[in-house]
Amino acid sequence: MPRRGDVIGLGLFVVFCVVFPLVAPGSLVNVGVYAMIYAIAATGLSLLMGLAGQVSLGHAAFFAIGAYAQAILVTRYDLYGVLAAVVAVVIAMVVALLVGIPLLRLRGHYLALATLGLGIIVTVLATESEFTGGTSGIYGIGKPEFNSRTYDSPQEFFWLLTPFVVVAVLLARNVVQSRIGRALGAVNDSEVAAETLGVDTFRLRLQVFVLSAAYAAVSGIFFAHWLAVVNPNTANFPLSVKFLLMAVLGGLGTVWGAVIGAFGVEFLDEGMRELIPVLVPGAVGEVQLIGFGVVLVVIVVFLPGGLHQAWRMVLARVRRPSGDVSEGRAEATEDDSPVMVREGRPVAGSVLLEVRGLTKQFGGVTAVDDVTLDVRAGEILALIGPNGAGKTTCFNMVSGVLAPTSGTVKLNGVRTDGRKPHIFAQLRATRTFQNLQVFRSATVLGNVMVGRHLRARSGLLRGMLVLPARAEERAVADAAYEVVRLVGLEGERHRPAGELPFGRQRLMELARALAVEPDLLLLDEPMAGLSSSERRALARLLRRLRAGGMGIVLVEHDVEAVLALADRVAVLDDGRLIALGSPEEIRTDPAVVAAYLGVDEDDTAARAAARELAAQVEET
Amino acid sequence: MSDLLQLIFSGLSIGAVYALIAVGFVAIFTVSEVINLAQGEFAALAGLVAISAVGSGMPLPVALVVAIATVTVVAVVMERVTVAPVKRLTTLTSIILTLGVSTVLKALMLLIWGPEGKGLTPFPGGDLLVFGVSIRAQELWILGIAAVVAAAVWWFYERTIVGKALRACSEQPIAARLVGISPKLATMLAFGIAGLVGAIAGVIASPVYFSSWDSGLSLGLKGFVAATLGGLVSIRGALLGGVLLGVLESLVAGYVDTGLRDAVAFVLLIVVLVVRPAGVFGRHAEARV
Repeated sequence: MPRRGDVIGLGLFVVFCVVFPLVAPGSLVNVGVYAMIYAIAATGLSLLMGLAGQVSLGHAAFFAIGAYAQAILVTRYDLYGVLAAVVAVVIAMVVALLVGIPLLRLRGHYLALATLGLGIIVTVLATESEFTGGTSGIYGIGKPEFNSRTYDSPQEFFWLLTPFVVVAVLLARNVVQSRIGRALGAVNDSEVAAETLGVDTFRLRLQVFVLSAAYAAVSGIFFAHWLAVVNPNTANFPLSVKFLLMAVLGGLGTVWGAVIGAFGVEFLDEGMRELIPVLVPGAVGEVQLIGFGVVLVVIVVFLPGGLHQAWRMVLARVRRPSGDVSEGRAEATEDDSPVMVREGRPVAGSVLLEVRGLTKQFGGVTAVDDVTLDVRAGEILALIGPNGAGKTTCFNMVSGVLAPTSGTVKLNGVRTDGRKPHIFAQLRATRTFQNLQVFRSATVLGNVMVGRHLRARSGLLRGMLVLPARAEERAVADAAYEVVRLVGLEGERHRPAGELPFGRQRLMELARALAVEPDLLLLDEPMAGLSSSERRALARLLRRLRAGGMGIVLVEHDVEAVLALADRVAVLDDGRLIALGSPEEIRTDPAVVAAYLGVDEDDTAARAAARELAAQVEET
Repeated sequence: MSDLLQLIFSGLSIGAVYALIAVGFVAIFTVSEVINLAQGEFAALAGLVAISAVGSGMPLPVALVVAIATVTVVAVVMERVTVAPVKRLTTLTSIILTLGVSTVLKALMLLIWGPEGKGLTPFPGGDLLVFGVSIRAQELWILGIAAVVAAAVWWFYERTIVGKALRACSEQPIAARLVGISPKLATMLAFGIAGLVGAIAGVIASPVYFSSWDSGLSLGLKGFVAATLGGLVSIRGALLGGVLLGVLESLVAGYVDTGLRDAVAFVLLIVVLVVRPAGVFGRHAEARV
């Protein structure tokens, strides 16, 4: 979906690239060449940081690997430049894969520090090894030649780089807007919610990391040809900081930002190198670092979105947003026909979910104690119990958010306990959250489209090339719209999700879960925050979903609503399942009455729960 | 045999330095979940300040106090000026931010002290030869001072109410507030402690390992690896991790190849994170929620 702003930006950039080498003085063009070379690496790093939410503090390592591989292949093995470049990029990608596999499963600090270590290692290895020419490195790399035209002046090289930078930026832009970009954007807003919708966070992060290494390698290849020399300094830390600064300055994940950042930082670098020795006589070495450091700190403290954010603020001043917001209403029809029927869904009444002996201990506290129950297709099972009874913990274990201490969970016969939430989603089961997990950086429709993640196939490559993924993207948007309509949010679909009132956000989470087309749906307090008409509409929708064969588990505090809706009710108290049966049986079950009404006189917790229940009944 | 002892001993002394830097990482991380990339710079800066102080004619003990105090103040100022104002501090922004500070510190050190590495005057005392192991007086100073500091830090966190509150801060801000520690104060205090131990590590190491504007990079990375060995949240683990890393490095440098010394930390980091992400010494931590 090309947007007007992108086309204008692209046009301006191409004009700039053609004109700049013609009008700028030679020394500036020279700086510009470096800016263009580094812009490619910075774009990749911007993707990694903006999309995958991970930092590489040693991106110069991949840059150096690309540069060295190219230099060695071209000078020692006389390999044709383009072919050598392909090999060099692949080598960098393989290294990234090896580093990323162990580290991207963990929190962001580890990749950051490990890549910092990688930068040091590459520098050390390059310095120590004869093969890479030791401290003096490898020289004599020829200038590129195509169709007997040699690109050897700054002007020529700048023009040679132009199409590469444009393509690098376009591909990055496509990634951001693709299915993968959407999923990773969601991960940055709420990792757990994205995973319960089927997003395999680790896999996608790894892909983006490897892609960013490829960008750095391409950048290194141009560097090798331009400078004709590659030495251990290409992997050094200041260069990694420079890449990082370029990405941060432009605005993370905003692709043009990295290019603008690259020019900004290169000119800053030149300026500092000339200015500092004037200010501080006798200053030598990497004095320009002071400018880098100050800019990094200032940006994080005052302008976290980089220049892109500043630009947006200017734009927002110029044109005020239109305030038209039409209120959508939940479908008020008396339609009770089944919805979201799916071919191949287990027949109504067959067991979908088997929970056996599920137990969770936090330190010495047993939050859930030996819970065993089944959920069947085409039924609504309500899970009720006083606050702190372990309902949400149960949900967390069933959906893969928490690993149980003991016990098993089987979904359609497949063991899922202790596995990640996206596995649960792949087996066609998903959930909503009691504490809302809204993807705040997306619109309502954008949120629901993340729910379609598993119903689409386009990977990183197809996303980068846009066209092959186009029809699928349209199908995803259409299907998401259908679900949005089902919960009555179509009037608000283009609003930023974070702006919706609480109750509407709940409905949006339901729509997001339904977009997965699950067979089993776990809803954690879906009625909370809804108006009474919305509650009625939701109850109707749940009945229609049940009629369509979906199995639904409902945690709800509104006991009367639950007893009216559910086929079976499970009651948890203090982590134990104390009753399981039809709503009528539950109403009269002595254990339930004791738990809720505090008949057991020495149990103060039960009495507190009884008071709470009474308060809720009054509310409704 | 004496070779092995020699290697182990020199490993212990550099390991003690890593251990103190690791304590700085843990002190800040447990309170604010920030990995402070300027931690190594604290050590480098302390070394350089002490060298200049001695150069200006101060007696060594005074110079040490001046250096340690300066760096502690720098650490607290860093927290007030850069970390405190950021509203939404994610892993990503905290890394960028502390990287920025570390870069500023590096550049300032380069501007003030120039690119050459320097060593602080060694602390008094004669070198020894025990069982064929030559021991430099400075190495004994390193081990002794590190042991005292480690014990003090341990006592502070385990035995004083403020220390316990600091540890509890990330999990139970309300409990911490009950004993009079606001999250704001706790973060400041944590940076102060990190600055203090980092600075001590810097001055005791400087006579043997030298200080330069960029020596903080590798010290910081190794301190982080040491802290990771201990699971990033345990003072005891960080101390053990530092010593273990130091000894391993020394053995690899001695028996395999000197050039590979710097590779040990990186390989160890990856191996530990793959095998036991919760740290080598710690119990298995709860799965993330």
